[in-house]
Amino acid sequence: MAPPAGQIRPGRYLAIFALIVAALYALVFFTGDGKPYPKLGIDLQGGTRVTLTARTLDGQPPTTESLNQARQIIETRVNGMGVSGSEVTRDGNNLVITVPGEGSEEAKQLGQTAELNFRKVVNMVPAQAPPAGTAPQAATQQPGDQEREIEEAKRTRQSTDPAVQMQALQALDCAADDPLRGNDDPKLPLVACDREGQYKYVLEPVFLEGREISNAQAVPPSPQDPGWKVSLDFKSEGAKVWADFTSANVGQQAAFVLDSEVVSAPTIQRALLGGNAQITGQFNQQSATDLADILKYGSLPLAFDQSEAETVSATLGVASLEAGLLAGGIGLLLVAVYCLLYYRLLGILTILSLALSGVVVYGVLVLLGRWIGFTLDLAGVAGFIIAIGITADSFIVFFERLKDEIREGRTFRSAVPRAWTRARRTILSADTVSFLAAAVLYVLAVGQVKGFAFTLGMSTVLDLVVVFLVTHPLVALASKNKFLSKPSVSGLGAVQRLGNQNRAARKAAVTTAKEA
Amino acid sequence: MKVTTPGTEGARHESVFHRLYVGTGAFDIVGKRARWYVALGLLVLVCLGSIGFKGFNLGIDFEGGTKLQMPAVGAQGPIETDEVQEAFREAVGHPAETVQVVGSGDSQSIQIRTETLTPDQVAAVKQELFTQLQPLDAQGQPNQQVISDSAVSGTWGGEITQQALIALGVFLVLVTVFLAFYFEKWMAVAALIALLHDVVVTAGLYSLIGFEVTPSTVIGLLTILGFSLYDTVVVFDKVKENTRGLLGLTRRTYPEAANLAVNQTLMRSINTSVIALLPVAGLLVVGAGLLGVGMLRDLALVQAIGMLAGVVSSVLLATPLLVDLKMREPKYREHAAKVQQRRERAQAKAAGEDVPEEAPTKQAVTAGAGSARRPSRPSGKAGRPSGKRRR
Repeated sequence: MAPPAGQIRPGRYLAIFALIVAALYALVFFTGDGKPYPKLGIDLQGGTRVTLTARTLDGQPPTTESLNQARQIIETRVNGMGVSGSEVTRDGNNLVITVPGEGSEEAKQLGQTAELNFRKVVNMVPAQAPPAGTAPQAATQQPGDQEREIEEAKRTRQSTDPAVQMQALQALDCAADDPLRGNDDPKLPLVACDREGQYKYVLEPVFLEGREISNAQAVPPSPQDPGWKVSLDFKSEGAKVWADFTSANVGQQAAFVLDSEVVSAPTIQRALLGGNAQITGQFNQQSATDLADILKYGSLPLAFDQSEAETVSATLGVASLEAGLLAGGIGLLLVAVYCLLYYRLLGILTILSLALSGVVVYGVLVLLGRWIGFTLDLAGVAGFIIAIGITADSFIVFFERLKDEIREGRTFRSAVPRAWTRARRTILSADTVSFLAAAVLYVLAVGQVKGFAFTLGMSTVLDLVVVFLVTHPLVALASKNKFLSKPSVSGLGAVQRLGNQNRAARKAAVTTAKEA
Repeated sequence: MKVTTPGTEGARHESVFHRLYVGTGAFDIVGKRARWYVALGLLVLVCLGSIGFKGFNLGIDFEGGTKLQMPAVGAQGPIETDEVQEAFREAVGHPAETVQVVGSGDSQSIQIRTETLTPDQVAAVKQELFTQLQPLDAQGQPNQQVISDSAVSGTWGGEITQQALIALGVFLVLVTVFLAFYFEKWMAVAALIALLHDVVVTAGLYSLIGFEVTPSTVIGLLTILGFSLYDTVVVFDKVKENTRGLLGLTRRTYPEAANLAVNQTLMRSINTSVIALLPVAGLLVVGAGLLGVGMLRDLALVQAIGMLAGVVSSVLLATPLLVDLKMREPKYREHAAKVQQRRERAQAKAAGEDVPEEAPTKQAVTAGAGSARRPSRPSGKAGRPSGKRRR
């Protein structure tokens, strides 16, 4: 039996909502790690966040390609720190490094581009294919293991004892991940592979740092000089060191070592006194440009400025989280009290709807953290708190319409369907505007705004779900219940009295009009 | 004849709150629009003047600098700001810009602000602070990790602001399209003017009072726009409903219908603002009171100011503006004249018949005519019953 037009079957809507909640929490508890906790930002759990802004020489926005490349390189460095839960994300022209927990301050150095050093080559051997059966290093490592590995690598590969060096050279597997990456001590010798994994080197301590390079560029072939090459300019201090070194080591190889990897190891053909050098070899345009970029920027295809760097202690993080929850709690409580005083029964429905809305929001939050890596930060918490008002407002729009209808002389029961059809339109359009604002903010804004906009937008959407599937059906149910629709319970007494008066007035008016 | 106006009489004698609650429409907001224009115009002028001459109190994110924060309790008891300043000087060689105690209770902490330090300097300061002052962690143990630091480059705040301005532009365009599509032309215009009012007033109050502007503030300002429009949308929705088919009847003029709409949504506007402001107040109390500084406080403050401005403008500015804009169209002016004519005729007729108990002139003067005269049929079904009545 279909309900009359404008009426709904409240039970059906509530059942759909219950199904949604059940499905949501089934996903929360039975997929992924099954832990019902959202992913927290470092400002709520402690850790380090660094925002790096790409800087280009010509002021043009950097290409997506080079940003992604930089992101990958920095990510490798971050993973080298061995802190689980670290990540590097792209945000517009920025890269954001987040490393949770204590001891994460190293992350501030990761965006630096000058991990390039010059070392003299002592010995060079071709790298053999890795011995069969060597298991690749496990992807998930405990932080402690990582540290031990670095210590171990330092002990063998940075030893000053030639015998140990030879052993290390033999044992070095160029196909495996290098625990020493970027962690080598410049004052000690180093045993390292080249980037392609074709040669292994024994190198002397660093004699010149990469930051002494003032410029590097790829030089196209010319008639006198066929083949691409890379031209290199040094700053004054570096030029002096370079001149001394090349004078003393003609015929020897100098290795450009980047993050503990040999990028290039050209042979010095003559003393270079002008603070300038040219590297020739089997270059094509691509490889020459790549090498020039590496020499100029370190391994990153772009230079980055550190726009924002923050280390939050776990104590402060927890305090912020507690403050956020407290603020939310106070907010909810105030809203609940106000609604109860003002709307009585409808107030209870509001509180119930808000609570259910909170349940849905929390579930979605956990799942989003799991699926798209959404992290809840302080700004996001603020977004939720501010969204309480927007969520509650949908109910208010509905209730005020209800009062309008009752004021016109309708009963609570007959007012509900009419009020709903009208309120629904208003709620939809008003929520559209809110959502629009949040979406624009999310897409265009940088930094922590994103979390704020995301939670605000998400709350707006979920608000619609709750209003449609819970609040309206509950009000419809209440209007059909004798006890609940008593004026003293529903809190609509004053309006109802006015409505009755109006009804009487209308009857009288009609009578008068007929008389006239 | 005695029963014609019970609703009105009842409402007239009730308290302001009761009139608000039942929404009988006894406040003449549209009729007195000139005074709102003057008041809000003055406010906007003051705000613009302050922005122009006084400017803003920009936070650390716009100048660049380093901030360090640590608990205010050490192994030797509460930590004094002098001690912190001393330790800082020993580590870096010069004093910090400011050292202050922020927050309260367990969350109380000491905040140091200085020009940008290198990572090595930050490490040195942290080491020095730890050795000298032994700040305690949550377990009551001295721990160097409890010292937080944040560094911001001088261009970061600017970049955030630039992005926010781009976002503002895009948002305004999208919203204009949405409003023009959903409402009518003049409604979109009025809503946008009200929106600009909110932005200017909020920014102006920040400038006037000298609150610190941080990127969080700039962001907050953008969300206010959403809220302000939201409020206006709800009011205009009612105006739209009340004025449907208005021109075909001579029951009430456009200004009267609009005033009725404002009154009917007035309680909702107030409720909405109160309910939206309550959580923000919670945020403000906790953010400013407990933590002392930071994003929560900044966001809450700008929201609180902006929401108040938004509600004021959607009630006192948006609808009156809409009425003025509408009345520029001849058909609405002609319609208003027709309504007036009919009323005069009815009045003359009533006067000719007997002594009018209803005293229509008095009512028309007191409160936006239509609304006060006919509270019995406030919403929705404009016209139909009155058509019946005239027969």
